Amino acid sequence: MHFNKLIVLLVFFLTGCGQNETIQKKDYIFGTIVEVTIYGETSDKATNAIELVFNEFRRLHEYLHPWEKSIVQEINQSIKNQEIYTTEDTEIISIINHNKELELKTYGYFNPAIGNLVEAWGFHAEEFSTNRPNSIVIDNLQRNLPHMSEIIIQRGYLRSNNNNIKLDLGGYAKGYALDQAKKILDENNINNALINIGGNILALGKHGDRNWVVGIQHPRKPNSIGSISLSPGWSIGTSGDYQRYFIVDNQRYSHLIDPNTGYPATNAQSATVLLPPIEFSGTLSDVYSKPLFIAPENLKYSIAKELGIDFYMIIMTDGKISISNDMLNLIKWHEEIDEKNITVH
Amino acid sequence: MKKILQFISKIQIGDLFTIIIFIVLTTYLSSILWNFPQGEYLKIDMGKQEIGSFSLNQNVTKVIEGPVGKTEVIIDSGKVRISKSPCTKKYCIHQGWINQINQSIVCVPNQIYISIIGNQTDYDSLNY
Repeated sequence: MHFNKLIVLLVFFLTGCGQNETIQKKDYIFGTIVEVTIYGETSDKATNAIELVFNEFRRLHEYLHPWEKSIVQEINQSIKNQEIYTTEDTEIISIINHNKELELKTYGYFNPAIGNLVEAWGFHAEEFSTNRPNSIVIDNLQRNLPHMSEIIIQRGYLRSNNNNIKLDLGGYAKGYALDQAKKILDENNINNALINIGGNILALGKHGDRNWVVGIQHPRKPNSIGSISLSPGWSIGTSGDYQRYFIVDNQRYSHLIDPNTGYPATNAQSATVLLPPIEFSGTLSDVYSKPLFIAPENLKYSIAKELGIDFYMIIMTDGKISISNDMLNLIKWHEEIDEKNITVH
Repeated sequence: MKKILQFISKIQIGDLFTIIIFIVLTTYLSSILWNFPQGEYLKIDMGKQEIGSFSLNQNVTKVIEGPVGKTEVIIDSGKVRISKSPCTKKYCIHQGWINQINQSIVCVPNQIYISIIGNQTDYDSLNY
């Protein structure tokens, strides 16, 4: 009799445990690893929601792909041929308008019109080549640097007089997908989740009674440099020179091209920004890390201020850390940081 | 005190030998068995597919078939590396050995993701 009671009690406690667990799924989309973790939902509900999110990611990947068949490629072809592109697709129009706005806001450090430069550097391939492109080609492309403002959008059509424009939304798509995932999870009544697209992360709700905790990758070591407790709705994005790059003659060439030089930016190893739950916060956490990575050191901090980024950390080319005061108060270091190597802004 | 001295004086060479052997053996075994595994196990993913989790407490070579070809992962008593890869850059191989919880090696072309998982992780997800 007592034994039976014990069994009942045990089963009761065990089921209690099961419901508190997280459900995590991974997939390979956008040429990188995507991962969604859901807390405190039944397995069926969580799995269904994650599948909806992954389907949206697959749609966006095909929709915005920079070098395979996509609407972006069609637009690029029209601009190249100096044709008018007519479309009733409101999503792509609002995405392009947002990108125009963001290029201006980031003083041109985020410039999605430079697809030709990115391509010349060989980053328009899953497996890019390790050849340094001809400097004449690069200088020529840079001298005719296109801008998003040269794309003219009118009711139902799009055109440009500058056939050097080649849209590459690689620095925007993953952030946009974060915001789309948030929408889908909200619609499906998932309140607690962590969405990770190739390292860009958005937190929904919490992990039980604590915040979601996110590790920040060290740009030169195989481990995390520290971790951050993400309050509900916050997002984090990093631009780094350690994921997509190649090395020739001991010189590192990353995929982050400085529009002002036409060459891969060398002013940082990584730049991380943390954004509160504002409109488009997922998109912006992806986009805003770029100007902080690319801009020269003397401009990084004023740009952060202009963009209203209170939480940021930049690991400089020499490995020294520049960090905002707010970020310093939030970060939990995973290794000992010498005070000499850290500057607080 | 006297008794201890008496005891020590009674120790023969054979006793000493046994004691030394005992100390050396205990130190040696505890140093290799106690300190590891620092991570609990190795998790291998290929794309969205989880290949499996393997104890670090063994010496084996795993071959994983990815979209580009075969990736070879070596587990060597608590540490792990990628030893062969069909990718062109071989960044995954150059990364060398990993042995701590949360360390990972990614081979993007072949979609291989290996990471050392512990019972307790410091975080829920990684920003990179």
